[in-house]
Amino acid sequence: MPLSTAWALFQGLLIEALPFLLIGVLISALARWLAPGGSWLRRLPTHPLLGPLSGAALGFALPACECGNVPVARRMLVGGAPLGSALGFLFAAPVLNPIVIASTWAAFPDQPWLLMARPIGAVLVSLALCLLLRLIPEEQLLQSDVLAERRLNQPLSTVNLLQRRTGLVGVPGGSGTAVEPSPTPTPRPPLQEVLQHGGREFLQLALLLVAGCLLAALMQTLLPRQWLLALGSSPTGSVLALMALSLVISVCSSVDAFLALSFAAQVTPGALLAFLLLGPVIDLKLAGLLGLLLKPRGLLLATAGAGLSVLLIGQWINLWLL
Amino acid sequence: MRVAAVKSHHLQAAGLALWGLVLLRASSDGRLDLLLREVFHPLVSLAGLALLIWAVALVLPQRHRQAPAAPGAATPQQWRLSAATALIALLLIALPPNPSFADLAQRRPGDDSSEAELAFVLPPAQRSLTDWVRLLRTQSDPRLYVGDPVRISGFVLPRADGPPLLGRLLVRCCLADATPIGLPVRWPSDQPLPRADQWLQINGEMAVQQGAEGEELVVIPQRITPIRRPARPLEP
Repeated sequence: MPLSTAWALFQGLLIEALPFLLIGVLISALARWLAPGGSWLRRLPTHPLLGPLSGAALGFALPACECGNVPVARRMLVGGAPLGSALGFLFAAPVLNPIVIASTWAAFPDQPWLLMARPIGAVLVSLALCLLLRLIPEEQLLQSDVLAERRLNQPLSTVNLLQRRTGLVGVPGGSGTAVEPSPTPTPRPPLQEVLQHGGREFLQLALLLVAGCLLAALMQTLLPRQWLLALGSSPTGSVLALMALSLVISVCSSVDAFLALSFAAQVTPGALLAFLLLGPVIDLKLAGLLGLLLKPRGLLLATAGAGLSVLLIGQWINLWLL
Repeated sequence: MRVAAVKSHHLQAAGLALWGLVLLRASSDGRLDLLLREVFHPLVSLAGLALLIWAVALVLPQRHRQAPAAPGAATPQQWRLSAATALIALLLIALPPNPSFADLAQRRPGDDSSEAELAFVLPPAQRSLTDWVRLLRTQSDPRLYVGDPVRISGFVLPRADGPPLLGRLLVRCCLADATPIGLPVRWPSDQPLPRADQWLQINGEMAVQQGAEGEELVVIPQRITPIRRPARPLEP
């Protein structure tokens, strides 16, 4: 019986997430077709704080939940966007978008603090993760295929020919000298090529999504959710329990506020916020998708950093409101 | 005769078409009613259709001047990717979901939200189980409803500390976030308790009994009829 329930949960998670993944891939393909060189991506700020903030703000323009965000963030990375901007978008945009803010307001109209704290918390977590991941060189952080394509689109002032593995001999680069990228605009790729590229991306991401949904469904079936909520009697325990719950349940960020509503009365305010902050950044369903961008070391560091920053925010909210 | 090598974009088109078929099949065979909240159903159908159109566009002959370089033969990695996609898609199409609601409900905390989603209060005999539960949250004095006629349906939801409830699952998005609600029933003493997960239609009336936390409303059944699981078993 648990197996048939797990199979149904798996189908529910997957069928709900696939349309959002498709939307993300379509946005990514459209961006590739409309702005083939991705020159606007390279104009995003490289400042350690402004970069992540600009990426986070893009969430308002590209409203998608966390599954749809991964292909868009991948497009930003391979298009040569500053690392901070791309990661800021990846980690904050699932919360900082109109759909998620509206659903949070609809679920908790009588808790204005939560409506403020969720986007602010998402920006703080995103900033913390971007600063943390900057400590790792890009070669050790990003997956090889993402890095190879990224190198081709980065300006020669930030990457040298050896790193690019292509280019013109005699053109200086890599020494911090400001060198303008080639003035020749990148031609718009044929639509067929964009479709093939997007199709390949969708198929690859869909399989990773399958693995994540399967894991989440099995965990949900084998691990009674009441165990997690039972841990939530103490302030710290409640934050940790709800963080674990958000990892396991893997629900889409556009509706997680409605789910949180069902147990809001049983948990501390800090735990409630922790649930709403951690899930959009990392959960079991997302782990495979993020693994397409980040190497295991980066993924582990991002998970640990997200956990720690969400725990601290949750604790602070409990100190403030309890 | 030499068989032409399969081009990579043909495999891609097949993969996209399979995912499209999975979503369209789920939209047409009623399983979405069992898995997702109704508001998401059109999105799933549209995504299925979009994937099929995408697959067709990939295999259409090119007439543009700016055609891409001819795609090469499929690599072993693409074959593996396609085989995995095909296996999963076929399993999804062939094996429809059949969850145990009671099993699912027992692993979840009960719904504790206090928001009133009733736009108006229906006459007692027209209230669903969910309407009753929500009404009791907004007006919690059980004595107000003693003697009211009840016609509700739901599944048998066992509980550790008493006889089973008649339950329903509330869903905000998909089955993964389902939370159970239930009403106590005074089951006939001369019959065995119904088995977990059995769907029942109960006609009867409301009464009050002493529960663990004071007085609570209980359904006194006059007629209990086993029914099939409804086509739309999830409540918003």
